[in-house]
Amino acid sequence: MGEKILEVRDLTKYFEVSNGLFRKKKYVHAVEKVSFDVYKSETLGIVGESGSGKSTLGRVLLKLIKQTSGKVFYNGQDIMQLNSKEFGKIRRELQMVFQDPYASLNPRIKIGDSIAEPLIANCISTNYAEAKKKVYELLDLVGLQPESYERYPYEFSGGQRQRISIARALVLEPKILVCDEAVSALDVSVQAQILNLFNSLKKKLDLTYLFISHDLSVVKHISDRIMVMYLGEIMELATTDQIFSKTYHPYTEALISAIPDPAERGRKKRIILEGDITSPIDPPPGCRFSGRCFKTMEICKYQHPELIEVEPGHFVRCHLYSERKGDC
Amino acid sequence: MLDAIYIQKERGTAKVLKYMVRRGLKGLLTIFVSITITFFIIRLMPADPVSLLVDPKMGPEVQEAMMKQFGLDKPLIEQYFIFIKEVMTGNLGVSFKTRQPVIEVIMQRLPWTLLLLTVTVSFSLLIGIPLGMLAAKKRNQFFDKLISTLVVIGISMFIPFLSFGLLYIFAYLLKLFPTGGAYTPPPAEGFAYYLDVARHVVLPAFTLVISNVATIILYTRNGMIDVLKEDYIRTAYSKGWDDKYVIRTHALKNALIPTITVTGLMIGTMVGGAVMTETVYSWPGIGRLIYDSVSALDYPVLQGAFLVLAIAVVVMNILTDLAVAWLDPRIKLGG
Repeated sequence: MGEKILEVRDLTKYFEVSNGLFRKKKYVHAVEKVSFDVYKSETLGIVGESGSGKSTLGRVLLKLIKQTSGKVFYNGQDIMQLNSKEFGKIRRELQMVFQDPYASLNPRIKIGDSIAEPLIANCISTNYAEAKKKVYELLDLVGLQPESYERYPYEFSGGQRQRISIARALVLEPKILVCDEAVSALDVSVQAQILNLFNSLKKKLDLTYLFISHDLSVVKHISDRIMVMYLGEIMELATTDQIFSKTYHPYTEALISAIPDPAERGRKKRIILEGDITSPIDPPPGCRFSGRCFKTMEICKYQHPELIEVEPGHFVRCHLYSERKGDC
Repeated sequence: MLDAIYIQKERGTAKVLKYMVRRGLKGLLTIFVSITITFFIIRLMPADPVSLLVDPKMGPEVQEAMMKQFGLDKPLIEQYFIFIKEVMTGNLGVSFKTRQPVIEVIMQRLPWTLLLLTVTVSFSLLIGIPLGMLAAKKRNQFFDKLISTLVVIGISMFIPFLSFGLLYIFAYLLKLFPTGGAYTPPPAEGFAYYLDVARHVVLPAFTLVISNVATIILYTRNGMIDVLKEDYIRTAYSKGWDDKYVIRTHALKNALIPTITVTGLMIGTMVGGAVMTETVYSWPGIGRLIYDSVSALDYPVLQGAFLVLAIAVVVMNILTDLAVAWLDPRIKLGG
C-alpha cells in the first residue's frame, strides 16, 4: 500500500435535536469516533444502510459541515483546524460528487458555467471565457458533447447529469474525490457506465476515491478496501478480498448475504435482519448493532466493543472476536 | 452550433409571442366575465341612483326624465348589451354625479393611485427582500423569531385602525405630516409642489407598506429557506464560494420566484386602489373614487373603476408569468 494521504482520528459529529424550550438537549450521534487511514491512489468504499453516518462523514471530511471533535490530517496537516481562508487551497484537492444528480445542479445556471464556477471561485481563471477551454476538456473527459456547455441541467438525463457533476468536481484537479452515493439515483445500466467512468478517470488522473454507497455490490466492484459503518461507527474495515473471503462482523455477513447473485439464485441463504436501525439519538451503551444482531450475547447489551485488528489490516468491532483475542 | 442556438432563440421569441396572444385572449375573456358580474352586482344594490340625485319635491316627471337620460328606463338585459357595446367602442359613459365622461374621471384619479402604488411597492421590496433573506439565514434565531412575530402583526393589522393611529400620532400630535389629501390646495409651483406631494404620500404609503412588506418578508423568507436546503447550494459551497456569493448568485434568483409572483398580484390589485387607506387619508385615487361612487350609486364610474382593476390584474398576471419564466428556465410557458 502507498503512503497515507488522509488520516482520520476520532472524528465525531453530533447533531443537536431541539425539543422545545425547557427540555434537555438531545444529540443525534451521526458519526462517532471514527478513525481510519486512506492511502494514496486507493479506492476506499464506505457502506452502511441509511442513517449510518456515511454521508455525514463525507461532508465533515470536506468541511461542508463542522465536526464536533476529532482530527483529519491531509498530507500531515490537520485540516479541521484551518479557517475557511486557509482551507481554500486545500479544498481544491478534496472534491465531492453528490448524491442526487437532479438536485445538486443549480437549475438556473448553464452547465458549462456550473462547471467553470469552481475555477473562478478559486481564482484559477478570472472569467468564464478563460475557463471555457478547461470546461470543454472536462466535458470531453466525462463523455459529453461540447454543445452541452450552453444547456441547462433539466435538459439532461440522470446519467448525463452525474457526468456533469463529476466534471464539476474534477475541474479543480482534486487529489481525493468523495463520491457520496454517486450512482444510487441512477438505473443499473447507467450505474455501470458511471462506475466504469470512475475507474477510467482514476487511472487517467491518479485519483484517490472515498466511495460512499449503501450498495455493497457497487462498492465491491470499485473498491480496494471496504469500510462498513453502522450508526456512525466503523464495524469492519478490510481489503475487499479479505472482507469477502473471511467476513467477521455479523452485520457485514448480513450485508453480503443480501447481494443478489444470479448464479446462486434461490440456493443462497439470506440473513434477514429484524427491525429497523436503532435510533441514533443518544444511543444506549453496549454494541449499537446488538438490538438486531443474530449472534447477540449478554455482554453486547452493556459493554461497548472496541475496533480491534483481527488480522493484519482487518479491523472488526465485535465482542465475538474481542474474547478470542483475550484467549490468545 | 451557433446556428442551432440562433434557431432556438428564434423559436423562443415565436413561442413567447404565441403565448402572449393566447394569454391575451384568455385575459379578454376574464375581463369580460368580470365586468359582466360587476354590472349586475352594482344593479343589485337596493337603491336607485336617481332618487339620490333628484330632490323628492320635484315630482315624478323629472325623475322619469332623468331615468330616461341615464338609460335606466330600459330593461336590465338591454342596458347590459348597450353597456357592452359601448365598452367595446371605448366609451365608458358619463358619471351620474358629475356628468363628466368616466374615462376622464378615472384618468384624473389613476396617476395618484399609481404614485401611491409605486412608492408602496418599491419600499416594500427594498425593505422586505433583505429582511426576509436575513431572517432565512438566521433561521430560528432571535432575529428570525422577532421578524416572524412582526410579520404576523403586520399581516393581521386592521388598516383603518393603523391609519387612525398614525394620523393621531404623526399628523395631530406631532404635526409632522398633513392629515389628508394629496397636496395642499392651491397646488404650489415646481419643486415645492413635489415636496408637498411627497409629504402627503408618507402616511398612506407607510400604512400600505406595513401590510405589504409583511407579505414580501414572509414569501422571501420561506422561499429562501426552501432554496438553502437544496443540494445545489451545498454544491456551490463545495466549489469554494463564500456565503455572500452563494446567497446572491445561487440562492436569490431561485428563492425570489414566489416573491415576484406575489408582488405581481399585489400590484394588480393595488391598481384598483387601496379603498380603505385612500378613504381614510382622503387620497384622490381609484380606491377613494370607488368608495365615493358606491355612496352615490354612480354606476358608470364604478363599472369603469372595476374595468381598470380587471385589466390591471390580467396584465400583471401575464407580466408575472413572463418574468418567472425568464427567471427559471425550467418553467415552460403554457396555457
